[in-house]
Amino acid sequence: MDYQHPRVREVAALLTDKKRLSKDGKSILRAPELGALYAEIGGLPAADRASFGKEVNKLKSELEKLVNSNDAQTKKLPDIDVTAPFDQNVEEGRRPGPLSSANGSRHPLMAEREVILDIFYRMGFKAFESRQLDDDYHMFESLNFPEGHPARDDYDTFTTTDSLIAPAHTSTMQNRVLKKLKSNLDKKQPIAAIIPDRVFRNEDMDARHEHTFYQLEGIYVDRAIHAGNLIATLKTFLQEYYGKELKVKTQPFYFPFTEPSFEFALSCPFCDGKGCNICSQSGWIELLGCGMIHPNVLREAGIDPNEFTGFAWGCGIDRLVMMKYDIEDVRHFEAAKLEFLRQFR
Amino acid sequence: MKVSTQWMKDFGGQGLDVPTDKLVETIGAQLGAVEETTDLSTHYKGILVAKVVDCVDHPNADRLHVCKIDDGHKADDVERDDNGYVQVVCGAPNVREGLLVAWIPPGAVVPSSVETSEPFVLEARDLRGQKSNGMLASQKELAIGDSHEGILVIDEPAKPGDSFASIYKLNDQIIDIENKMFTHRPDCFGMLGVAREIAGISGQAFTSPAWYLNKPQLPVSGESLKLEVVNEVPELVPRFMALAIANVEIKPSPIWLQSFLSRVGVRPINNVVDATNYIMLLTAQPMHAYDYDKVRAQDKGCDHATILARRPLPDEKLELLNGKEISFGGQEIIIASASKPIGLGGVMGGASTEVDNQTKNIILECATFDMYNIRRTSMAHGIFSDAVTRFNKGQSPLQNDRVIVKCAELIKAIAGESAGYASELIDLNNVTTVTKPVVLSADFVNARLGLSLSIAIMKQLLQNVEFVVEEKDNNLSVTAPFWRTDIEIPEDVVEEIGRLYGYDQLPLVLPTRSLKPASKNTMISLKSRLSDRLAAGGANEVLTYSFVHGKLLSSVGQDSEKAFELNNALSPELQFYRVSLTPSLLEKVYPNLRSDYVRGEDNEFVLFEINKTHNKGDKDEEKLPKEWQSLALLFAADAKTAARKYQGAAYYGAKRYLSFLLQESQLNLKLVPLKDIKKADLESSTWVSQLVKPFEPGRSAVLIDELNKIRGIVGEYTAAVRQALKLPDFASGFELDISVFEDQLPGSGYIALPRFPKVEQDVTLRVPKTLEYAELFDFIWDKLDSDKPKDTFFTLVPLGIYQKDEDPKHKKVSFRLWISAYDRTLTSDVVNELLDQVSKKAEKEFGAERV
Repeated sequence: MDYQHPRVREVAALLTDKKRLSKDGKSILRAPELGALYAEIGGLPAADRASFGKEVNKLKSELEKLVNSNDAQTKKLPDIDVTAPFDQNVEEGRRPGPLSSANGSRHPLMAEREVILDIFYRMGFKAFESRQLDDDYHMFESLNFPEGHPARDDYDTFTTTDSLIAPAHTSTMQNRVLKKLKSNLDKKQPIAAIIPDRVFRNEDMDARHEHTFYQLEGIYVDRAIHAGNLIATLKTFLQEYYGKELKVKTQPFYFPFTEPSFEFALSCPFCDGKGCNICSQSGWIELLGCGMIHPNVLREAGIDPNEFTGFAWGCGIDRLVMMKYDIEDVRHFEAAKLEFLRQFR
Repeated sequence: MKVSTQWMKDFGGQGLDVPTDKLVETIGAQLGAVEETTDLSTHYKGILVAKVVDCVDHPNADRLHVCKIDDGHKADDVERDDNGYVQVVCGAPNVREGLLVAWIPPGAVVPSSVETSEPFVLEARDLRGQKSNGMLASQKELAIGDSHEGILVIDEPAKPGDSFASIYKLNDQIIDIENKMFTHRPDCFGMLGVAREIAGISGQAFTSPAWYLNKPQLPVSGESLKLEVVNEVPELVPRFMALAIANVEIKPSPIWLQSFLSRVGVRPINNVVDATNYIMLLTAQPMHAYDYDKVRAQDKGCDHATILARRPLPDEKLELLNGKEISFGGQEIIIASASKPIGLGGVMGGASTEVDNQTKNIILECATFDMYNIRRTSMAHGIFSDAVTRFNKGQSPLQNDRVIVKCAELIKAIAGESAGYASELIDLNNVTTVTKPVVLSADFVNARLGLSLSIAIMKQLLQNVEFVVEEKDNNLSVTAPFWRTDIEIPEDVVEEIGRLYGYDQLPLVLPTRSLKPASKNTMISLKSRLSDRLAAGGANEVLTYSFVHGKLLSSVGQDSEKAFELNNALSPELQFYRVSLTPSLLEKVYPNLRSDYVRGEDNEFVLFEINKTHNKGDKDEEKLPKEWQSLALLFAADAKTAARKYQGAAYYGAKRYLSFLLQESQLNLKLVPLKDIKKADLESSTWVSQLVKPFEPGRSAVLIDELNKIRGIVGEYTAAVRQALKLPDFASGFELDISVFEDQLPGSGYIALPRFPKVEQDVTLRVPKTLEYAELFDFIWDKLDSDKPKDTFFTLVPLGIYQKDEDPKHKKVSFRLWISAYDRTLTSDVVNELLDQVSKKAEKEFGAERV
């Protein structure tokens, strides 16, 4: 259907769309927009009335045809010249092209990932991507979680019917990265790497829990690396990230792939430890798990744990972004709602 | 794991005599995160021991009694009679003169209501004409068990006016430490273990009680109950101990025992069951008690009771203590009589041999089960009991003899005078592991902690928690005590020393590094470059789930057989790994068009996502599923916006975005109509085969690289897709494998600017309608390039394409040419000649006519 009059064209597009989106297609024949077109005829310059009226009639009969043919909805559109830069018979001002820059936005998680990456690049860390589908060896075994180990219970993993795993932590890359950068150690360079990427946990969703989220893994191995280095490195990163002096503390924890293991907390950067909503009035924010890489993990990657030691950590990126912008519901991140996204233009 | 500070004080109290907040801080820093602390003393504030000195029936109520109580004149502001006694009305059937009871005076709170939303504060009030000052409390009201039949009768030495809390050590702090911290510390699932740790982290030496440290005296058998114990699965049950106890009197436990269980969240049942639970909470070793006679009755005609550990047989069933009937998978460890299962070993006992009020004789079991087997069984049957929590951490079998004897002694003490040991203490011990000392140097420890501790300090720290430490040539030889199962390698000892010393005392220094700059990750950088570009082009970056509904796959024509499927999806909406990103974006169109948010402005948007896709066909060099690095974009406008702003096919909207993106990297991808692609090429990889499915062949083009490989697609969606996903007419998009950009350096393809003026000239060619634009453009470009005067530089852009009804076989395509030379001013004659020449060639090639 092609119409000369813009108003008829507009109503035609609108009603054709409506027909597709509604179950009861017949309602478009009684649509007020169609009635409005007839009403408009009288108000037009005399010269236009005849052609306008003709087009409105044509539209009505086209719509009737559309309503009466059930397969109209699934009608194939004619072929076009896909190599052309624009459609034929279309004037320059009506050719679709990029929208105004003012509409564009980066996703806040991806934008923040770049802020974090930038700090770690400056600190001398290399970055790696993680996998979204991996095997048991990398997710568990190479990390000193033997088959049947109760610590596996703490990782609510999704598994596939082919016995693959949706990684529940970015540590699924640890063995690969250690192997890949092992030669650094021979060159008297440390292994320093971060892995900021997507992970999955099989847990029910609410405002604070997502089954899909982003984690920041860090790995550092060299001669004579000790637990004090670990805490200092994390503290340095966080102070740079928040742009202020912070206090940090650790709590012993248990992970099979680090020994010793810690939970790491920082003094709340939003209230300087005085207590606010973000830190639940405690003055502290528990942010991440970390520890000294277990000798079995180093050994599995072919690194002699008697010669080299190292540390690793894993931190949630979603949490950092939620705190930064005071985002109330983690589920917004994967919802692709323009209302949310365009706030980050 | 809830611990009671009062209970732990039974072991010496090292480190416990500090303010609670300090204690919690120390535990947090050196043992594990504290989830919650409860100050029990506040729950029992004001509650007094009182003696019932007079008890008469209520004149106006059948079941009530009017009591006078003696509280030693302790309570203030309460009405007293001439003798100084207080009147309380009580409905309990067991109230009588002479009892010592717990009195909650007016103004005090009923303990069971303290943690509810409405704490119940007592007052003096009339009950059918009689004044009642507060209440005499039942166990339930005092939050000590469930018993509500009568009031609690104090069973410890006490006198009127004593604080009730002090009689039962209820001035207590309950500290709840996260279980997760103890995944490798089975010993810390008992009060004894935690008390020892608290001493250790407070820098004080701890000594376990003698009954625990020393090999126990075997109880002497009195009256004989014949008991046979068999272990058919020694590899899964390394130690199995049992003992029969005869003539037990089943009744409620003493209040102190019920009170200890209640405060850490364990419900009192009866004295025998309570004793096993108490011992478990004390030592972390789960126990079980069977009714001896019920066990024996399982095996008809048998003169003795048999318990054996074995695998289940096919078709066997068992009703558990929680009432659930289970059948077995075959891998479980069961406890059985000679003929029938009577318990799911290490997980939960069976109902048929439960100890109840009629029980006279019992069998006490203290066994160790394989932690992995227990974990699997627990998962398979969905049972997460206190025993499972402990056994799946790997309890030390070396403490079983101490534990069973301690438990037997407790039962003998609280189950009536005639209770007595009635069998040998049976010990089927298959433990072969020997605790070997771990040898390490002080340097090894200090290097990993960044400290310079002396051997003496290390030794002291370890000895405080009962390690045996010997010093040999600057080395430490460390032998873990028998209850520890987590010390195997030198790093374990480092952790122990670091924790006991205090991680908050480590020196915070950064590692030293060289000046070598870290190179950036090219793929991550590429992704951010592309995203920045598209966002600058007005598009919105989205992230959507990697998992999709099978229905979404089928509605866009993709094959769910090619998609990885989750075993344990949260919902059908998240059942499959997506094989391309486009369907995820298509799903987001309708909700966004419908949302109130965009009403009022132009209701149009461009969404894009950069993410990974997977399919069952394509593998990577690790033989794992290939992770396709994909970028998908979708341009949609509602009918009204599209009618107002745009004309023609929506396809060209997506195409413009694609050119905008490719331009950034000077990337040349050829567009070939999807309808012209051979089936074999569409099946060159599973990725391609699924990628193209949502797209309409007559209105889409595939992107072909220099090696003739398909790297993406741009187009409109098929009618079926548009209908299924409620797309507007104006919707188009593209998806491509971004690794195509990887070798391409970003650049503008800059060309030096000629100093001489450029000549502008338009040319319109009338060509056959079926001639593809690209073919024409490329031809003109090539000819211009080959025929142009030397040292010139030109630009050619399309102006318009027109196809009129009056000339149905042809279309007219107009271009504008700018051309300039680097060393001279070109004349329009030269340019016109050039265009004529090129047009002639086009005429020959396509029958084009310059108009």
